[in-house]
Amino acid sequence: MTDSAHPQLSVVVPLYNEEESVPRLIASVGAALEGADWELVLVDDGSTDRTTAVVAGLAGPGSRVRLVRLARNYGQTAAMQAGFDQARGKVIVSMDGDLQNDPGDILRLVAKLDEGYDLVAGYRVRRQDKMISRKVPSWVANRLIRRATGVPIRDNGCSLKAYRREVLERMRLYSDMHRFIPAVAAATAGARIAEVPVTHHARRFGASKYGISRTFKVLADLVTIAAIRSFRDRPLSLFGLAALASTLLGLAFAVASVIATDFRPEKAEALVLPSVSLLWFGLAAYLLLLGLVGEGALREFQDPEEGRPPLARELRP
Amino acid sequence: MTAGSLERVEAPAASGELDLSVVVPVKERPAPLDQLFDEYAAPLRAAGVRFEFLFVLDPRHADRAAALRGRSDDREPIRVLQLAQPFGEATMLKVGVDAARGRAVLTLPPYPRVEATAIPALLDALTDGTDVAVARRWPRQDGPANRLQSAVFNRLLGRLDRQRLHDIASGVAAMPRSVLRDLPLYGDFARFLPLLAHRAGYRVRELPCPQHAEDAHARIHRPGVYLRRLIDILGVFFVLRFTERPLRFFGLIGGSVALGGGVLLAVLAAQKLGGQGIANRPALLLAVLLVVLGIQAIALGLIGEIIVHLLATRRETYRLVDDDG
Repeated sequence: MTDSAHPQLSVVVPLYNEEESVPRLIASVGAALEGADWELVLVDDGSTDRTTAVVAGLAGPGSRVRLVRLARNYGQTAAMQAGFDQARGKVIVSMDGDLQNDPGDILRLVAKLDEGYDLVAGYRVRRQDKMISRKVPSWVANRLIRRATGVPIRDNGCSLKAYRREVLERMRLYSDMHRFIPAVAAATAGARIAEVPVTHHARRFGASKYGISRTFKVLADLVTIAAIRSFRDRPLSLFGLAALASTLLGLAFAVASVIATDFRPEKAEALVLPSVSLLWFGLAAYLLLLGLVGEGALREFQDPEEGRPPLARELRP
Repeated sequence: MTAGSLERVEAPAASGELDLSVVVPVKERPAPLDQLFDEYAAPLRAAGVRFEFLFVLDPRHADRAAALRGRSDDREPIRVLQLAQPFGEATMLKVGVDAARGRAVLTLPPYPRVEATAIPALLDALTDGTDVAVARRWPRQDGPANRLQSAVFNRLLGRLDRQRLHDIASGVAAMPRSVLRDLPLYGDFARFLPLLAHRAGYRVRELPCPQHAEDAHARIHRPGVYLRRLIDILGVFFVLRFTERPLRFFGLIGGSVALGGGVLLAVLAAQKLGGQGIANRPALLLAVLLVVLGIQAIALGLIGEIIVHLLATRRETYRLVDDDG
């Protein structure tokens, strides 16, 4: 086996309690990438079973398999980021460790990258999941994500994706952002994105690590991404627009209170309507101030060393 | 830390590498420091540990250093760091660890909490893969009042952590110096050290250490103390759960409040359509107030998210297992 310090292709797989899947995973990746220059970066996300031991037995010097061990269970996003940080390939492919993705699809994704894309996302055809608990929520979520992020991705839940290294150098995943990688890549790295259909297997081993109760979290993350997108170039506009809307509401109630008390003094609206009006004005002022805080943060916290400008393609005229 | 001025009781000359720095923040209820030193130094000496003691003095207890005069020598240096301004215990620990020279540090409250003879076992735990060895006061000698408080405190905090700890705030913990140096500790968060350490990816282990007889007297605090502690718990709850995702916290609060206001508004709108006047109803004021408060909370969460996003490139989102570990 060759041990290249700079392989063409790094496959990054976060693992959490996948002791049964790992040997098959390594074997099938090896079979699928026969003849290519690759490495497999397995990130052990604080597994409590024998995952670490199994991988350690198969990794090591001279092997294409590398083990990255997180100090505790940080979750999929941090594990993926750790894998990206350790990956040395020019092209990096991420996938799930539970054998639901088919390594046979990897090279097709990479081929699509070569057509001039920065990120190629897989989307699952003929999903092997339960209808009500998995497919319906994911259909709704994907529609919402498309709307909020402006990135037309069919299947955000599919981990099988290929990236040019330059994309990953321009973004950093945190919280639960692994669900929105294309959106984040588009918003911060300016990535050109394509989709390729991929095979999807049902789980063989272990339990699914998701529950149905993550709607709120996804919703909050979506609002965040939409806000970051709008905030990036025009920091004050988001809060300014909200403040404007609040001002208009305040004005409307002010007018209503004037009409109500001046023209029909027999009615007792003298207190409620002006108070409501004041509330809206107060909110408008608050939002404007908060917008200024954001503007200040944008100025102060821009990282001149880490934050690289978005990708651009040079065209031959 | 430049906050405190540094004063040495006796100039210690470091003789080779030290195994352990014992860091004692002298702030609350200090016992006579010479007795504390004698009691805790003896078992370390017996175990062959080369140690130094670092007492970090709150300005209120500046006079306590006098008791240590003449005890320090080259083999067992006692160092006193006198702060000129009062700081929280976590900051005092940071001051201590900044000056510490031992490979490991042991944090001790300024009064005997556990039997000193149990300390070497804590240090031994560090050699078998544990990053932070925390003393759990067990068996306990104190009365039901103390134990109830302790149980409530640990139960509230236990919900934050998958690893169930029984005595988070014991204040007696051993760890490599680098661990204490790198921990994000500040203000009054010293009492949550094991939780923050576990959160930061260190392996935390609790070891039973017999409670010291002097620690067993009943402690009933003023109500203000309990209130402060509750606020601390809220603070650490937020820090552990939501610093990466503020909108989930503020969004949940703001969303529910705004939803309540929205429902009330809808009821009022229905009444208005039914021909009932609503302009003079205080309920209208309440409904709008709720919506406004909700929007404020959500907007605050969004600003938080934007700041987290802007700082993301500079933050460590994970820690790898040490190569030798």
